[in-house]
Amino acid sequence: MKVKLELFGASRDLSDKDFLEFNIEKKISIKDLKKKIINYVDEKFKGNENFKKIIETSAFCSEDNNIISENYKITKDQKIGIIPPIGGG
Amino acid sequence: MFHAKIIDIKKEKIEVDKAEKFISSSKFGASLIFRGTVRETNENKKVIGITYDSHDAMVIKSFEEIYNEVDQKLKIKKKAVYIEHVKGYLGLGEISIIIAVACPHRAETYILSRYIIEEIKKRSPIWKKEHYENEESEWLKGNPIQAN
Repeated sequence: MKVKLELFGASRDLSDKDFLEFNIEKKISIKDLKKKIINYVDEKFKGNENFKKIIETSAFCSEDNNIISENYKITKDQKIGIIPPIGGG
Repeated sequence: MFHAKIIDIKKEKIEVDKAEKFISSSKFGASLIFRGTVRETNENKKVIGITYDSHDAMVIKSFEEIYNEVDQKLKIKKKAVYIEHVKGYLGLGEISIIIAVACPHRAETYILSRYIIEEIKKRSPIWKKEHYENEESEWLKGNPIQAN
């Protein structure tokens, strides 16, 4: 299945596009998706510590715009938003 | 009465006049218009502009939640609230947010206006990338959102 990770704020620096895509064989928790994103940073950005910190401190949101916990399971093709620490106004 | 919107600055303007018109009513004896604008310095760096990013649907949802909880939390029942936030690039002095409120009495307008901006800072998924004189830019460190 495909997980489309929509990028916001500081996480936009992870790609030239507005999203990252991950091909995943079986259902996956947000906790494990985070590990996959960190692996991506290791491969693409030589383990850039700033990027890793952004991922570690980010929340995630579902397609219906709710913040989801690390135990949330992705079981089908889905969009997930990454929500780095916020600060508007 | 409630209005909330994200303004994509490439497509439209953020306008104080509209906010003023929206909250204007003889039911209310006090009104306040708060404007957030782009400041020229931050942490001793010379800022030339800010790019705002937003998760639009979640931001609007957070504005609605903040508005809806005011009855219970602040005991302010009669009110008009107008919130707009910009996304995109703004130069110095340009308006990033308008929070216009009107209530029957002055004390509650001050409380309401302050409550809304502080809650937005804590809860609404909006991000700032500052641009500096030396052509560098940086996403500002913010507050992590916690899952319930």
